[in-house]
Amino acid sequence: MSKRLFTVVATATVTAAALLSGCSSSASAGGKTTLTYMTFETPDLTAAFWKSSIAAAQATVPGISIKQVVAPSTDRDTYAKQLEASGQFPDLLESITPSLYTSANLLTAYPQSWINANFLLPQGNAIKGKVYIPPTNSQIIPMVFYNKADFAKAGITSTPATWAEFEADCAQLKAAGLTPIELGGKDSFAAAMPLTGAISANVLGKNPQWLQQRYAGSVHFADSDVVSAAQEMRTLVTNNDFEQGALNVSYADSITNFNDGKAAMYPMGSWYLGSVPKNEWNNIGVFLWPSDDGSQVVPFSVGGSMAVSSKAPDQSDAFKFAEAWSLNPSNLKTLIEGDGAFPMLKNKSLADFDVTVSPVYTDSYSYVSGTNNKVSSIGWATNDDSMPGSMNNDFYAAAQALFNTNDVQGQMAKLDQDWTSATQGQ
Amino acid sequence: MTVTVTSPPRRAPWLRTLRYDAGLRALAGLGLVLYAVFIVLPLFMSLHSSLTNANPLYASSKFVGLANYRQMLHDDALHSAVIYTLELAFGVTIVANVIGFAFAVLLNRTNLSYRVLRTLAFLPQVISGVITGFVWETILTENGVLNTLLLHLHVIGQPIDWLGDPHLAQLSVGIVTAWVLSGFTTVVYLAALQSIPQELYDAASIDGAGPSRRLRSITVPMTAPATTICVTICMITVMKLYDIITVLTGGGPAFATQSAAQYIVQVAFTSDEFGYASAIAIALLAISAALALSVTHVLRRREVNL
Repeated sequence: MSKRLFTVVATATVTAAALLSGCSSSASAGGKTTLTYMTFETPDLTAAFWKSSIAAAQATVPGISIKQVVAPSTDRDTYAKQLEASGQFPDLLESITPSLYTSANLLTAYPQSWINANFLLPQGNAIKGKVYIPPTNSQIIPMVFYNKADFAKAGITSTPATWAEFEADCAQLKAAGLTPIELGGKDSFAAAMPLTGAISANVLGKNPQWLQQRYAGSVHFADSDVVSAAQEMRTLVTNNDFEQGALNVSYADSITNFNDGKAAMYPMGSWYLGSVPKNEWNNIGVFLWPSDDGSQVVPFSVGGSMAVSSKAPDQSDAFKFAEAWSLNPSNLKTLIEGDGAFPMLKNKSLADFDVTVSPVYTDSYSYVSGTNNKVSSIGWATNDDSMPGSMNNDFYAAAQALFNTNDVQGQMAKLDQDWTSATQGQ
Repeated sequence: MTVTVTSPPRRAPWLRTLRYDAGLRALAGLGLVLYAVFIVLPLFMSLHSSLTNANPLYASSKFVGLANYRQMLHDDALHSAVIYTLELAFGVTIVANVIGFAFAVLLNRTNLSYRVLRTLAFLPQVISGVITGFVWETILTENGVLNTLLLHLHVIGQPIDWLGDPHLAQLSVGIVTAWVLSGFTTVVYLAALQSIPQELYDAASIDGAGPSRRLRSITVPMTAPATTICVTICMITVMKLYDIITVLTGGGPAFATQSAAQYIVQVAFTSDEFGYASAIAIALLAISAALALSVTHVLRRREVNL
């Protein structure tokens, strides 16, 4: 290589290296702590919401500068992992699944005294006894929303409590010329709502430790009780209870379809409450996914706000900001009204959040505040019951597969294989 | 008045050559550096990673030898994704080339309207894969443009599950990908057609060759190099297909349309098996390279024989 060529190559290499090193993490500058904060945007959690909520938290904790990193989609976990892989793990991460990061010691737990002092279910999303995201809100996944006018048209006078009653109501709705169930099956998480409901109600309802026992290997998806629950979803398919071409309907379209009255029931997470149109507030009702024996089971998931990275340069400032953000009622107001979130702050009633909610929201919230059988919603839990690795995706895909196969046992056995793969090396 | 014109001092020819050479070397050097930094280096990093149990959440990793490569032999999900990708590559390459060639023959005119049509034919190639996916999702979804049109024309009695039925979803992905690539093949075949001397066609006509004979004996042989390019590029493009499928079907229903590239991302960032994902990526690269080399070898021989 000639000297000239060497110079050119060396210069270009240094330039490229300098360009690549431009992506750096947070730091302290001019006495101010700069923290990177990964957020995400939805139609309700807009850029303006994040901007104002960050500014409000900064106002209560002076001296902190926030560099916002917006995830390109609502899949925060994949993006957070990509950032970690490229050495850019954010200092603060909004609404992630903490169990995915705790084994790598990437998160710092919140002080338990602060959690105990401020939240209704301090251990609601704890992992091995430690809380990595403040349990600010919760969801029920799924609930069954229904169109009261359609039920009346079909002559159904009360909501079903048992699986047999549910099947009978589906038949009655079809006889009245109505489509029983709306399903946005093109998006696998939405396709899995009936499967999540059936397994949560009939398996976890009877054995709340089921997921822990699955980790221990003492129960399996291929066991008869899980197969029997999954068979219920297959029955809905073979009975044509879902709308025609349900796997061709996107999640977004399914909301539109149900709001337009194209189906009588809609199994979805309680976040749908934020999408009930005002003119339908008195026409949409809600009930829990029916269990075989009629016992009431609430598939529950305690969510929360931001996790703090163990790599954050100033842990104290990071927690100060995270705590201020998490306790700000106006942030929860947006989540309650737009995302149907159920607030879990201590000593706060709905009125304290200055929210306007629908009657169906109030009915749904009664399942949270009431004393009942709350179990982890399979595929949605954020605590020790969260499933390993890619199991959530595999679980959702199994629900889609049940549209095209009678081999329910085989699909559940495949989930056991997937579980084995997902837990290898853990 | 006398005007004296002074010509600029002339540089010696050897000096000009030297400077010209230096400029070329600088440009080539820069290209080499960029290639090394963005292609060769990541390739070696990936190769190294494929021999470890690297996890995106952990800074350190252990050397595991060929364990990741052995794992591939027993991974049914990977086999399904690779088989689907190969089927897609094979089908899309044929369809995109046939359509591209047909379009090129039809558009091989010089007037303005044909030039506009040529631009339109190239349009699918210009649009980003993500936008293509969104547009086709709007067309193929349950209440989409296609079902609405077919229902209004009474061609079908109820909407077709273009993206919901596993087989139809696979077909839909193939159609959309072929649509995108046909824009590219059309342009390449057009360029090849325009380089064929008109005299050849005139002489053939005088000799009594009809349109079909002229196509077989002049057009097809003379566009053989273009076929080699189009077939190779189409195959490579489909082998690494990610964006269109992600937007159009998300790899569903039930992973029926999951491509090998999508599976790699899933394994790396959902299952956290970065080392294994690297091994799959290296294997996919090897398969793609072997395919491209084989196809090029066969088609080059065909070019000579035609």
